[in-house]
Amino acid sequence: MDVRTCLIVDDSRIIRKVARRIVEGLGFEVDEAADGIEALSYCTGMMPDVVLLDWNMPVMDGLAFLRRLRTTPGGDKPKVLFCTIETAPERIAEALSAGADDYVMKPFDSEILHSKFSEVGAV
Amino acid sequence: MIQDDFDRLQALMASRAGFRLGRDRIHLAEHRLAPVARREGFDSVDDMLASLWAKPVASLGWAVIEALLNPETWFRRDRTVFDTFARELLPAIARARPEGLVRVWSAGCSHGQEPYSLAMAGLEVGANVEIVATDLSQRAIERGRAGSYTAFEIQRGLQAQTMLNWFDPADDAWVAKPALRAAVRFARHNLLDAPADAARFDVILCRNILSEMDPARRGQVVDGLERRLVDDGVLILGADERIDADTVAFRPVTGRKGLFVKAPSALSRAA
Repeated sequence: MDVRTCLIVDDSRIIRKVARRIVEGLGFEVDEAADGIEALSYCTGMMPDVVLLDWNMPVMDGLAFLRRLRTTPGGDKPKVLFCTIETAPERIAEALSAGADDYVMKPFDSEILHSKFSEVGAV
Repeated sequence: MIQDDFDRLQALMASRAGFRLGRDRIHLAEHRLAPVARREGFDSVDDMLASLWAKPVASLGWAVIEALLNPETWFRRDRTVFDTFARELLPAIARARPEGLVRVWSAGCSHGQEPYSLAMAGLEVGANVEIVATDLSQRAIERGRAGSYTAFEIQRGLQAQTMLNWFDPADDAWVAKPALRAAVRFARHNLLDAPADAARFDVILCRNILSEMDPARRGQVVDGLERRLVDDGVLILGADERIDADTVAFRPVTGRKGLFVKAPSALSRAA
């Protein structure tokens, strides 16, 4: 079986570390990016299967990244899970309409990530 | 907790709830009973149990039993079941019923994630479905009826879009919208009790309950489920649960994990 990859995009090194441990536990090979620009340049090199995406980041935020990703050739393929502290329904709806496959409210745990990955068909 | 108290707790759980409290649960029991002791005004778990053994008060006994049950559940647990329910069972049964009414019983519903998952699936395909949800624990029933879930609970099994469709944010919780709450009727029920009325169901879910029961009580519970299920109904157990040692009344549906139908010998001879 091909190795499945997940790109974790978050400006917090600690969040990336926590998320990495959980996602690796789901059988993914994980790479990290600290903002939207880094994430975009990663994706133009190789599209990951899943992107776990923070909203508020310096340089380019998650929503801007997502909109750019979805217009990039092949950028419709990755399952994108927004993963942020925003919990207002209108913000969640905004993220989903921008092309996110699902949305995770922080804080999260491994059970939540596991169930979110299965609901979007990533595991 | 001393061994003698734990032995008595095991006996209490087996006789009243049919629940098998394993030897390895002694520390868990202590941990779960501490808040009950505080709530009931005792200085310690030991004091509470001493009082319970000396003067068995029903309300205290049930508070103890409820605290020791396993409430673990989440939305769309073993999610295949909910897709099968919405896409296959509901349409097939509705076609064979007056006004397409499908009656469903979520037996052992804990905090309500299972019946609400069924209700969302039914409402989304526009089915005419009536859902009764029961649990042994009164506290679990009250939580289910309130339909209020923490951010952790609401995200376990539910996609964000489904959450937005059916729940409203309130303080630190997400609360089921009135249309969803209205679709489920909650009631307390002990599966060890024989059916007290003639209510029958087209689909019964009793998931991850039998596997935690005292083997000596499982047959009795399965019989009760069988009497509550219409002849062409479907029983749904946990994905890995088996009942072939407990009953000849059901047979598994090939290729459908957890689904059971009545065996020919169990069909009532009405004609």
